[in-house]
Amino acid sequence: MVSWPQWLSLVALVPLVGAVTTPAVSRGRSRVAALWALGVMTVTSFAALMLILRVAREGPFSYPFGGWKSPIGIEFRFDEFSASIGIVCLVGWLAVLYSQRYVEHALEEPRIPYYYTLLLLNFTGMIGFAVTGDLFNLFVFMEILSLSSYALVAISGERTAEMAGFKYLIMGAISSLMVLFSIGLLYASTGSLNMADISSRIGDGAVGPIPLAMALAGLTVGFMVKAALFPLHIWLPDAHAIAPSPVSAILSGLVVKTGLIGILRVYQIYYGAKVLDLSSLNTMLVWLGAISIVMGAFFAIFQEDIKMMLAYSTISNIGYIVMGFGLASPYSVIGGSVHIFNHALIKATLFLAAGCLIHKTGYRTLYDLRGVGKAMPLTTAALSVGAISIVGIPPTAGFLCKWYIALGAFEAGQPFFGVALIFGALFIFVYYIRMVNSFYFRQPVHPEFLEVGEAPASMLAPVLILASLCLVMGILGRIPLSFIEPAAHRLLAPLGG
Amino acid sequence: MESQLTTSLVTPAMFLLPILGAIAVVPLTRTSPKARALGLGLACAVTAALSMSFIPGVLAGKIYETHVLRLTPSIWMFMRVDAMGALFGTTISVLWFLALVYSAGYMADEHRRGRYYTFFMLALGWTLGVAYAGNLLTFLIFYELFSILTYPLVVHEETPEAMAAGAKYVIYILIGGSLVLLAVVSTFFLAGDQTLTATGLLSLEKGRTPLLAVFWCFIVGFGVKAALFPLHGWVPDAHPAAPAPFSAVLSGVMVAAGSFGIMRVVFNVFGVKLLRELGVMPYLAGIAAFTVVFAAILAVRQDNLKRRLAYSTISQMGYVTLGVALLGPLATTGALVHIANHAFMKGTLFLCAGLLIKRACVTNVSQMNGTARRMPWTMGAFAIAALGMIGTPPLSGFVSKWYLGLGMLEADQPLYLVILLGGALLAAVYLLPIVYVAYFKAPPATADVDERSEQREAPASMLVPTIVAASLTIVLGLAAAVPGLPVSLARLTATGFFR
Repeated sequence: MVSWPQWLSLVALVPLVGAVTTPAVSRGRSRVAALWALGVMTVTSFAALMLILRVAREGPFSYPFGGWKSPIGIEFRFDEFSASIGIVCLVGWLAVLYSQRYVEHALEEPRIPYYYTLLLLNFTGMIGFAVTGDLFNLFVFMEILSLSSYALVAISGERTAEMAGFKYLIMGAISSLMVLFSIGLLYASTGSLNMADISSRIGDGAVGPIPLAMALAGLTVGFMVKAALFPLHIWLPDAHAIAPSPVSAILSGLVVKTGLIGILRVYQIYYGAKVLDLSSLNTMLVWLGAISIVMGAFFAIFQEDIKMMLAYSTISNIGYIVMGFGLASPYSVIGGSVHIFNHALIKATLFLAAGCLIHKTGYRTLYDLRGVGKAMPLTTAALSVGAISIVGIPPTAGFLCKWYIALGAFEAGQPFFGVALIFGALFIFVYYIRMVNSFYFRQPVHPEFLEVGEAPASMLAPVLILASLCLVMGILGRIPLSFIEPAAHRLLAPLGG
Repeated sequence: MESQLTTSLVTPAMFLLPILGAIAVVPLTRTSPKARALGLGLACAVTAALSMSFIPGVLAGKIYETHVLRLTPSIWMFMRVDAMGALFGTTISVLWFLALVYSAGYMADEHRRGRYYTFFMLALGWTLGVAYAGNLLTFLIFYELFSILTYPLVVHEETPEAMAAGAKYVIYILIGGSLVLLAVVSTFFLAGDQTLTATGLLSLEKGRTPLLAVFWCFIVGFGVKAALFPLHGWVPDAHPAAPAPFSAVLSGVMVAAGSFGIMRVVFNVFGVKLLRELGVMPYLAGIAAFTVVFAAILAVRQDNLKRRLAYSTISQMGYVTLGVALLGPLATTGALVHIANHAFMKGTLFLCAGLLIKRACVTNVSQMNGTARRMPWTMGAFAIAALGMIGTPPLSGFVSKWYLGLGMLEADQPLYLVILLGGALLAAVYLLPIVYVAYFKAPPATADVDERSEQREAPASMLVPTIVAASLTIVLGLAAAVPGLPVSLARLTATGFFR
């Protein structure tokens, strides 16, 4: 059953079909829409699980659509980096479960089925993006993802939400355009759209360096916008803070990672081809990563709004991962790749828990939420676990990435970045300690919410599951680490390291 | 004597037991405080008994090892009980047990007791993990956990002073922790994942500069916790703010965990031979000696009793680092013994300070006139511990200072002997006046004494642990040569390091 080839097409098709049929199936009933979306995600998750088991057993494999072999046909290709769809399914499933009660308050009734449609489209985009082996497909899935993300940010229909969605749209459209132009450039100069094929064709030396360098620049910058790397992060804080909390969890935990997977795909094409020396690009990425870590943390310190704080913290964490990729040593690439997974867990915990607080108390600033630890002990405990985890206190999930990337910095002969990474994390701690202080150790400003109690079980359960995974994935960190190891070595093999 | 390795399942139980105890506390908090107190006391007593159970084997040359869990593809969480760990671990668990019993009385009328007990027990688990860690990553994990997760205990009172002290604590500790992380990462890069053995992990072929950088990262990182000048700033604020039983363990063993870390680095990571070649230890000795005198002078000027004791801790931990920095077998023995002896002396003093706060509303030295008349047992214990701290024979403080002094002569550094004696003299200056006013000054006129301060001696639950801690000060001095007590373990450790 594990090696049934159809799983690879189904994993993208099931959520796509599920998305477009949601309004028809539910006919306006929000409960039915929620259950339908949950069912669709369950099937998708099962398919994803099968694929991950197979890649762990046999290594990368591909699926040619309609039996047309690559490079002529369209190919889905599943490697270890594609296994990031596992976290998309896990967090996505939990976010759908969580949404059911959350959107009752947050959205108008008629919009709710469309909300689930957009969520499922969003997952389709992410999954398709991670599993496709074809550059144009990559762009199509990226657009599905981006368009549904803009709509999800703006879905409440409030003025601020529309503004944030619009800002996101402008930045996103520029980035999509750059990616599209670069794909066009690569197609024009190589005559192929299959990524592996492009890599081998440009490796033959048939294409001059200038179009290749331009395509590389366009792809990198385009994906950097999607990943919200400093200085292209300006769309992120508003969009992530204003969106409904389950959407924030998905945007911050998963959607920005698509940009990172994109950067990995670019590396796969260009490292393999060995025509351009990528060390200057890597130097730039490492520096931008370091600046992102510090700037994200620096801005987060001054935020009062809890979701705004979490949004800035995402910028820091993207900085970690990009720094890991840029250092281009086995340890750092492994650390960065695993952090794609771990950060999704942690940030989803934080956003969903923050959503519980906002849902029950109606307040969202640290000042107003003082003393909430007494009213909602489980939620705030989950939030604290997430905070400890994201700061990277061992042995939580966030620590592994710090350890691996710092080790990678030494390995790459650039210990300065290891230092920057470790001390950047200190800034991050400053604002999380503010949060913990305000929840537990300060007198409440609004004593009336001491009576509110915990959020309903369908919201609390995802938060608690994710929080315990933050601990478990730290202790069992060897599983994702050894899973991704062959892929990292394969990626870096052409560098001769 | 060749050391033999034994696999033991008791080692992970050592840190798991308090952690499980802490988790079990949560549901009991509302229903049955009595069952909670009993359960925690039992968990803590069993932990202490288990930690003592290692001592005979360790003295016979055994080393207990357990691979607990594989954290990354190449690194295990690995526990290892050697003589040094057994000495520190036993000190930790015994002092913790005393402080826990004392807490039952002290915390009876405080808020958020569930939170207090949970984190108190968790901290025991983490600190034992530090004592028994077998490689650097395991050490780091427990070190960071106990540094960060004691924050709720420091700010327990939730007063503005406590919050300010907590903020200071967190900033110092995090910077220190980051440096330790950096140093551990570099060590892993230079030497790979290796067991902490008596010979050291690093060698000079890696070049001098990286080794020096790693060394100072470690020393500064652990120096924050060990309160080395100029990294001691959090100590005098955190101690008065925290509840007394926690101050006792904070001063007694948690600051010492920093010194313990320094010892691990000096003897197990670098090794004596390499450090002699690097020639960095004289600088460390200089810093430590300065800390001893500087903190003692500051202590004299403090009026707040707990603050004065906190400065005394900084000064006394300076002795430990000084002993390590001399790189001689006798000085090392003295440093190790002083960790254990200081824990019980300083524990006694802080527990007494807590009794004075609770029963007599006394926080400052200037309010202590005549307290001995109302609280004879408390002040008796205080006087014994104070005399021990000064180094009066035959109390335990004398034993460790004797070894330290011999070590200084052995290392041919008589100047440090002057520091040692000067520190002891200053300890007399800052501790004896307290004893003097408590015994020989008349209590203040009854007019400005409120009703609560008319109360006399504290209930047994608080008094007994205090007296036990004080009598340990006497026993560890009188019976210093008995096998199984700190001196025997410390000598075994030192022999191993200087073979």
